[in-house]
Amino acid sequence: MNIAVLIKQVPVSNDVSVDPETHALVRATSEGMINPADLNAIEAAMVLKEQTEGKVVVFTMGPPDAEKALRDAMAMGCDESCLITDRCLAGGDTIATAKVLAESIGRYGTFDLILSGALSADGATGQVGAMVAEYMGIPHVAEIQGFAYDESAAGSILAVKKFQGMEFKIKAALPALMSVCFGCNEPRLATLRTKRAAKSKPLEVYTNAELGMAADEIGLEGSPTDVTDSFEPESTRKAQMLSGTPDELARKLKELIEIEKGKE
Amino acid sequence: MDKKKIGIIGGGISGTCLGYHLSLYDNAEVVVFEKDTIGGASTAKSAGTVCLFDDSLKNRYWDVRLYGFESYLKMEEEEKGSAGFDKTGTLVVATDEKVEATIKTGIALAKAAGYTGEYITDKDKIKEILPDISTENILGAGYTQDDGYFDGTMISNTYAKKMQKNGGAVKTGVKVTEVKVEDKKIKGLKTSDGEDYEFDYVVDCTGPWSKFTGEMVGMDVPIWHTKAEAFFLCPPGKKLGYTFPVLKYPAFYALRAGDNIFICKSHLSMDLSNPMHAGQWDPDKLPATGGTDDYFIDFLLDQLECRVPGIVDSGLVSSWLSYRAEPKDFLPILGETPVEGYILATGYGGNGVIEAPAASRDLAKFIMRGEKTPLLEDWAFERLLK
Repeated sequence: MNIAVLIKQVPVSNDVSVDPETHALVRATSEGMINPADLNAIEAAMVLKEQTEGKVVVFTMGPPDAEKALRDAMAMGCDESCLITDRCLAGGDTIATAKVLAESIGRYGTFDLILSGALSADGATGQVGAMVAEYMGIPHVAEIQGFAYDESAAGSILAVKKFQGMEFKIKAALPALMSVCFGCNEPRLATLRTKRAAKSKPLEVYTNAELGMAADEIGLEGSPTDVTDSFEPESTRKAQMLSGTPDELARKLKELIEIEKGKE
Repeated sequence: MDKKKIGIIGGGISGTCLGYHLSLYDNAEVVVFEKDTIGGASTAKSAGTVCLFDDSLKNRYWDVRLYGFESYLKMEEEEKGSAGFDKTGTLVVATDEKVEATIKTGIALAKAAGYTGEYITDKDKIKEILPDISTENILGAGYTQDDGYFDGTMISNTYAKKMQKNGGAVKTGVKVTEVKVEDKKIKGLKTSDGEDYEFDYVVDCTGPWSKFTGEMVGMDVPIWHTKAEAFFLCPPGKKLGYTFPVLKYPAFYALRAGDNIFICKSHLSMDLSNPMHAGQWDPDKLPATGGTDDYFIDFLLDQLECRVPGIVDSGLVSSWLSYRAEPKDFLPILGETPVEGYILATGYGGNGVIEAPAASRDLAKFIMRGEKTPLLEDWAFERLLK
C-alpha cells in the first residue's frame, strides 16, 4: 500500500500573538516542529506500511526551511518526501492550501491512502484534510484512531473512530483520505542511524512552475477566507498563594473548596 | 567597617554563587541582576557533572574540583534536593596512556580526600558497571560510586535564596542597560525598569553574553562560544535496567536523565578555529530546544557505534544547543580589569558548576579584602593579554 502523509511545520514556542491589523498569528521564533497530530498520522502510516509493504511519502507546503520537518519525518521511517514551496503560495487559507496539496499529490504519483493529522497545533481548523479529499474526489473519514487492517479486504480499509465512549469501524473504498487524531498512538522515535539515513532519502521540491496553478487559485489571491478578527482569550483566573503549616494549608484549602462549592 | 556595594550581572551559577560568597561578608551589599530567571540559559542546559576524577579540569586544580563537590554535598545535607544530586557514580574510560595517567592521579587524589576510587582493567568488571559499553580498544576505566551529577538550576536558586537570607537582593526580569563608568572607574549601572544604582564594583557573570556585557564598559572580553550540542536518548526497550553512571570519554560524556540518557560532546574536544565548533554568536537567538548540527549526529553515531554500541539504536527524544563561554585557553576569567571596579567572573566554559564555588570563594575574598589567591592569579584577565 502506498501512503501519502500530509504534515505541517508548527512553531515550537507557545509564544504566539495576534497581529492587530492583519489578525494573523505572529510567532515569537521561526523554530518549527512537526505538528503533533501529524506524528500520529506518520505512525499510523508506518504501521500500515509494515503490514502491507509499499512506501510512505510525506508532503508539506511551506517555506524552504520546512525541509527539516520532512527530514525528521523520513528519520521516523517515511521513504520519500515532497516539499511544496513558492513565495506565490504564501498566505493561502485552507482552501488554497488544500488545492495545492491535492494537485501535488496527484502529480507525485498514485496513492492508496492519504493521511493527515486531525488538527494543527497552531491554526486548529481541521479543514485541510477534508478539503484535499474533496478536491481529489475520494472518500474522507475524519478524526480516526487507527485502522483494523484486513489483508483479504482488498480495495478497502476499516478505520476505527471513537465517539462518546463508543468505537466505530468505518469501511472506506481506496483510495481514501483520513485524518488521524492526536494521541491515538505512540509515534516512534528517530534514532541516530535513521537521522543520518534521512539525509540521503529522496526529497522532491515542487514550485508553482511544476504545478502550473492559476494565480487566483493559490496564495492570498486564491483564499476566499476573510479573517475579520482574532484575539487572545481573556483569562479571568487568578492564583492565590497560601502559606502555613501542612495542617493550616489543608484547613484553608478545605474552606476555599467549600466556598467554591457554595457558588454552584 | 565601610560597606562595599556590588552589582552582579547574571543570575546563573556564576552570579548566584558569587553573590552567596559575597553575602557571607558583613560589609557586603550585593544585588544580582538577572534578565530572565535564576539558573536559566546556559546554566539550565549544563549537565552538572562534578566528578571526582575526569579530564574536564586538570588535576592541578584538584582543590577547585573538591571544593565545588563538597559545597554541593553540604547543600544537599542542609536540604535534600537543593543541589539536585543524583549519585550515579562515574566511569572514566582510559583510551590511551595519557588519559590513563590522568585518571590514576585523580583516583589517588580522591582517595586521599576520603572517597572511593579504583582503576579497573578487568573488562568484565567494566561491563558489570556499564553493560552497554564496548571494552575493545580501551586500556581500562576509573570508577567511583561517590559522585554523579547535580542540577545547576537548583544550585543557582539555592545560592540565591541563601544570599537573600544573608541580606543580598535579587532582581529578576531586569536587564542591565548601562554600566556607568567615569574616568575608567565603575560608578554603578542602570536597568531596563528605569532604576539607577550606585556600585563600587560591577561583576560580569554573564558567561556567553560577556562579549556584549563588556562592550558596555568599552572592553573587548575575549570570549568565544563553543557549541554544546546535547541529545536525550531513549534506550532501546525504553528502560536502562541499571544505574547508568556518568560516562566520560575524552570526546564526549553521558549521564542518565530519568530513564533517558543525556549525551554531549566534551568542551575540551572543541576546536576554536573550526567554525562548526566555535564562533561568536548571539545567545539570545538560541532556541529552547533543537538547533543541533548534522555533523554532531555523525560524530555521535561514530562514537557510540564503537564506544557504547548498546545504546546506539536509542530513540532521539529531544536535543538542544547551548553556547559555552570559552577564552582561548579554556580556563575562566576571574578578577580585575583595566576598568577599576569592573570585575569578571566569566568564561567557565563547560565547567561552571565545577569551578564556580572555589572561584567565587576566592573572588569574594579579593573584592572584600583585596587578597589575591593563586587561583585568581592563574585565571586573571591579564593572562589573555600576553
